[in-house]
Amino acid sequence: MKKKRDWRIILLEVVMVVISLIFLYPLFLTIINSLKSFSELMTDVIALPKKLAFENYSYVWQYINYPRLFLNNTVVTGLGLAGIVLISSIAAYKLARTKSRASSLIYFLCIMPMLIPFQSIMLTVLQMAKNLNLSESTWGLGLLYWGFGAPLALFIYHGFVKGIPREIDESATIDGASGFRLFFSVIFPLLKSVTTTIIIIDVMWIWNDFLLPLLMVNGSPATKTLTLAAYTFVGQYTSDWQYAMTAMVMAVLPSIIVFIFLQKYIVKGVVAGAVKG
Amino acid sequence: MKSGRRRAERLEFGAFTLPILVSIIVVFYYPFMMTIRYSLTQWNGISKHPKFVGLDNFKQIFMGDANFSNAAWFTIKYALAYIILVNVLAILLALVLDMKLKSTNWLRAAFFIPYILSLVIVGFIWKFIFMQGFESLGASTGWGLFGLSWLGEQNLAFISILLVSLWQSIGFYLVIYIAGLQSVPDDLKEAATVDGAGPVRRFFNVTLPLLAPSITISVFMALTNSIKVFDVILSLTGGGPGGTTYSVAYDIYRDTFQNNLYGYGTAKALILFIAVLIITVIQLTIFKRREVEA
Repeated sequence: MKKKRDWRIILLEVVMVVISLIFLYPLFLTIINSLKSFSELMTDVIALPKKLAFENYSYVWQYINYPRLFLNNTVVTGLGLAGIVLISSIAAYKLARTKSRASSLIYFLCIMPMLIPFQSIMLTVLQMAKNLNLSESTWGLGLLYWGFGAPLALFIYHGFVKGIPREIDESATIDGASGFRLFFSVIFPLLKSVTTTIIIIDVMWIWNDFLLPLLMVNGSPATKTLTLAAYTFVGQYTSDWQYAMTAMVMAVLPSIIVFIFLQKYIVKGVVAGAVKG
Repeated sequence: MKSGRRRAERLEFGAFTLPILVSIIVVFYYPFMMTIRYSLTQWNGISKHPKFVGLDNFKQIFMGDANFSNAAWFTIKYALAYIILVNVLAILLALVLDMKLKSTNWLRAAFFIPYILSLVIVGFIWKFIFMQGFESLGASTGWGLFGLSWLGEQNLAFISILLVSLWQSIGFYLVIYIAGLQSVPDDLKEAATVDGAGPVRRFFNVTLPLLAPSITISVFMALTNSIKVFDVILSLTGGGPGGTTYSVAYDIYRDTFQNNLYGYGTAKALILFIAVLIITVIQLTIFKRREVEA
């Protein structure tokens, strides 16, 4: 009886591993075809490359100016993230600690936008950004993410701050700390786990975001983001699949590498974010 | 003295909350008001003064806009199929991964990886697989399945979009369900075994009810994401074949940015907002009611 059960588990395990390999097969095909020459790719897509065509990479690297794109993505994501964490955490703290009508109203106004789909306002957001000179600039794009990311971050922080006892504030006040100093030296460190969650969700979102960058910074190569450049590049090279594949590998590889190293935290953060959000 | 302290408190309250208020007003409330305004106009985006037309845009959308009604049907069909499939498949996978297999960590990572990739890129990768990859796979296996026109035939294109969306996001739902299953106490499952419940009955009577919170979250997320589907269609089918795979979000994008119907497009955008609002409110009420019962 016991033996039969083991045998079944092993079979299940083998089946699952096979399924997972088929599941990842498209990514494998993308990678091997990014290393083939045009003629080799056209004759057989599923065969392994006979000779590794690294020149695809050097060509695409230069053509799309990869280092520049990487820098742009980093600036947008970093600036967006720093702002979201800062403005949401301080507001969440104050709003959770102040019991007044104004406080509840502001909290409500700030989390309501979670219900507004981006497509409903995309045209007017673009116009507003043009008026404020925030379009066609990586910094401007980063700034816009403050507002777009703040409602969810505020919501998550707010729920967490409510669980921090007021006595902590009070004892810090006796020690002479107040205002921002009290917040950053005493409260903010206590928010570390939520901050990690917010960082993980928002990095994945901003780094890969497509529609907002498409509208805001699509005009010039100097301001494009990685996803955006890969999108335009593939649009131009619909027949030269080997270059298209290379561009895609270059666009997704940073995410995959980060995931391999931080897998545990990313999965945990995503779950925590969903459960709280 | 007292009023001085109160003023200081007010100042501090302002300093902590003003940044978020300004950021949110700038990207949400101001554009939202402008959306309402433009939806009542006829405007190509270039002329200085949009022409006020009252509710004409809305009349036109509801009376006879085949593009919009097709896109709405597509979105509803897609959302229903996606919500059901992604949740059923994720629960099944989660049950297997919860059995403490030796490869659980690998399996979880493998299924999660596509979720960290950009949807536009995922769409392109699959376009390549459907167009080039399937040709080679068909040649080497001889299976007719690979010979079908997965992006060129209306119903198959719908299935393709659905499959690619499921492929990209199932890992997310999977980890939520795994977390949910781990919070089901083992002794509860064991108690049910002792009572003589078979695995199927145990699942429906013990596990599934305890998974209710995870199901609520997942259905909510699946709904909000599927109703706004855009990126993956843009890169996978581009709305084709013959304009049959436009979603509502994509239809709005087409009208505003490709056909320069700014007033008309924003009217559609407003309808999308109201639809999302109603669906969310309904869902939250059901959710609240269930919570009270539990």
